[in-house]
Amino acid sequence: MAANEKKSIGIMGWVDSRFPVTDLLERHLSKYPAPTNLNFWYLFGFLMIIVLAMQILTGLWLMMNYTNTAEEAFSSVEYIMRDVEYGWLLRYLHAAGASAFFALIYLHMFRGMMYGSYQKPRELIWVAGWFTYVLLCAEGFTGYVLPWGQMSFWAAQVIISLLGSIPMVGEDLATWIRGDYLISGITLSRLFAFHVVLLPIMIIAVVFFHILALHEIGSNNPDGIDIKKHVDKDGVPLDSKPFYPYDITHDIYALGVFLLIFCTVVFFFPEGGGYVLEYVNFEPANPLSTPSHIVPSWYFTPFYAMLRAVDFALFGFTAKFLGFVCMAGGIAIFAALPWLDRSPVKSIRYKGVLSKGFLAAFVISFFVLGYLGAVPPSDVKNLLAKVFTVIYFSYFLLMPIYTRIETCKPVPERAPQH
Amino acid sequence: MKFILFLIFFISSSIQAASGELSCGSIECDEFSADTTNLSSLQDGLTTYMNYCYGCHSLKYSRYNRISKDLNIPIDMYQENLIFDGSKPGQLMNISMNSKDAVEWIGAKPPDLTLEARIRKPNWIYTYLRKFYPDDSRPYGVNNEVYYNVSMPHVLEDLQANLSETQFNEMIYNLTNFMVYVSDPSANERKRIGVYVLLFLLLFTSFAYLTYREFKKDLK
Amino acid sequence: MVQPSSPPNPGRRKFLTNFTGFLGAIGAFFVAIPFLSAFKPSARAEAAGAPVQVDISSINPGEMMIVEWRGKPVFVVKLESSAVKLISQNLDRLADPEMESPAQPEYAKNEIRSRKEGLAIITGVCTHLGCSPKYYPNAGSTDFDPDWQGGFFCPCHGSKFDLLGRVYAGVPAPTNMEVPPHYFAKDNILIIGSDGVA
Repeated sequence: MAANEKKSIGIMGWVDSRFPVTDLLERHLSKYPAPTNLNFWYLFGFLMIIVLAMQILTGLWLMMNYTNTAEEAFSSVEYIMRDVEYGWLLRYLHAAGASAFFALIYLHMFRGMMYGSYQKPRELIWVAGWFTYVLLCAEGFTGYVLPWGQMSFWAAQVIISLLGSIPMVGEDLATWIRGDYLISGITLSRLFAFHVVLLPIMIIAVVFFHILALHEIGSNNPDGIDIKKHVDKDGVPLDSKPFYPYDITHDIYALGVFLLIFCTVVFFFPEGGGYVLEYVNFEPANPLSTPSHIVPSWYFTPFYAMLRAVDFALFGFTAKFLGFVCMAGGIAIFAALPWLDRSPVKSIRYKGVLSKGFLAAFVISFFVLGYLGAVPPSDVKNLLAKVFTVIYFSYFLLMPIYTRIETCKPVPERAPQH
Repeated sequence: MKFILFLIFFISSSIQAASGELSCGSIECDEFSADTTNLSSLQDGLTTYMNYCYGCHSLKYSRYNRISKDLNIPIDMYQENLIFDGSKPGQLMNISMNSKDAVEWIGAKPPDLTLEARIRKPNWIYTYLRKFYPDDSRPYGVNNEVYYNVSMPHVLEDLQANLSETQFNEMIYNLTNFMVYVSDPSANERKRIGVYVLLFLLLFTSFAYLTYREFKKDLK
Repeated sequence: MVQPSSPPNPGRRKFLTNFTGFLGAIGAFFVAIPFLSAFKPSARAEAAGAPVQVDISSINPGEMMIVEWRGKPVFVVKLESSAVKLISQNLDRLADPEMESPAQPEYAKNEIRSRKEGLAIITGVCTHLGCSPKYYPNAGSTDFDPDWQGGFFCPCHGSKFDLLGRVYAGVPAPTNMEVPPHYFAKDNILIIGSDGVA
């Protein structure tokens, strides 16, 4: 154990005998045993850490120049864009970073659904991840309001009005959240405080827990094999490899590819065709005139489509309230996945044809709803939205049934060699 | 694979969003392709803007000296010929028109146009400015094919009458081009830096890939 | 657990790891540039700190006008003809009469410490701890100096300067008060904050 002797001397030795930094870093980073059969779907977590760091850094810099009052917010964004040196870059990075974050988290979540990463014993990891997603939605929404353009204002108006649909307490709740009888500078100030302090702190804390819990339990893998069943004499899984150098080199390579795509958007298409920065939002907020076509950011459109799909009252509830419930349910139901899946296997590779079919139908409905939420409504589109909302929910709600009745393939004992 | 699906989804939905109603009111927009690297076009557009538009339409997020620097116009020359109200070169381009008066004279407050080219498409502006037609029922005797019942008078009427169609179109091209520039003045610098960023990332990613592949050998 | 084995070409592995790391470090360096640059004075700050224009024709001999430039007082003093004599008699009491310390633009490093005879242009900030000195133009006995030759006295810590802003020896302030960049657009139009066209 020459390595251990070396550790106990010098400054690091002094620190380690008081707080085991080296051990901590080795367990969580350099020597973390990751399964040998991880594939490209396992890159997005790392990329999100980078994007989170970038959002915090650019956000900090934007905050130094942004003014959170209704009178000044819009012009302070243009001040950043024009008067602050490289302010345009900071702002474009932050705006495109938000879109990138959602693209990555959707891919990351899909990976978990595909390979059954939410299953026992990783339920808490999944729920923490889902909670990060919910916080991220709140972060995305509050950030969207800050430039105080037309879209900012009317998005805030629509989302906060939704709360007004809750029976009995709704209107009072909406007024309480706004702090005013209309969306005003008071609302802007509190959303700003949430966006820059409360939500980031919560996101960092939950992400920290998510990673810590993962490293205690160990990563799942594309085959859903429990690699801890076969360990060497030190108790390390045989089908594992140390994070450094094997995973980090893969992650860094992925980072390069990601940045190529990301920087192409930031430097050449900063508006992202209206999906990263909406054209209408270059007009200052005007409470007296709604833009002719208002849509949420692309990452909320699937849920927005569900909201619009519900146009009927039921059981004495208004369509408005049911739409809100449907939309919130579409997001909330992810958290229940670990308890809905009754399959004996984790990965889609060994699940039966029903699981494969339902997962495919879910993905298609997610995209179709995403599209429908981004375009103006019509009768045909509304019908489509209803159909695909049903498909979306059936993936979750029928899961306890179809995962039990289908026949699964046997899962190999050891990770396959590539 | 899902990336490709994603891309298809993106492209198809943006095409869908673009189609539907006519792009320019009662007509289709004319083609317009901005070139913000053409400084003489931008200078000409600026001159037109300051002489014909700036009386009513401020550029309040922009500064005089920023435009003078970006368009390569010496600041003395700029100050002498294009600043009419004695503003200092570093000031924001606000105008002194009182918005209450404006509503009384024109019927609406003329909007600030700094970001107009980002709110509306440049081809909309290019078409709009060329599609005024006489209409005696309107207070100024003109109407517009792109923006029906617009309250703006046709300030370029005399020019349109005195210039050939090609000359007038060119003047409007330059004016629109200038508005595209002023809506996002850092665009040229952004694209210039972007090329270097992508070249660097290509190099970095290549070596990151080689390193990844080198270590992957151990796993076989 | 798979462990890094001895690869067929260890030199290649080492080179690739190091070079990729090196490129990453270069990338990080360039990423830092926009963040550091964004801390520089913005266009708004530059506009607020733009040169100011002063008409000096209204200042009578012996009087001082205070002009604000970049949030600091700038003293513009029209010297009386008698004051010029006072100044030249007083050199031996000054710490740096030859103006060796770079507290003035090159064109003001002369007997009159400005671009115009009989006019002192001084940033009114004491070089000790930043108070603004008071103007005491008249020679004679004062509370702080029995043999005062006219100049500026800082009420905070008692630093003394002559009428051209040069510091006395044996006071807390280490250097002469600064002369801001300035030029004359016309005979009586003083521009503070710019060296003008050379």
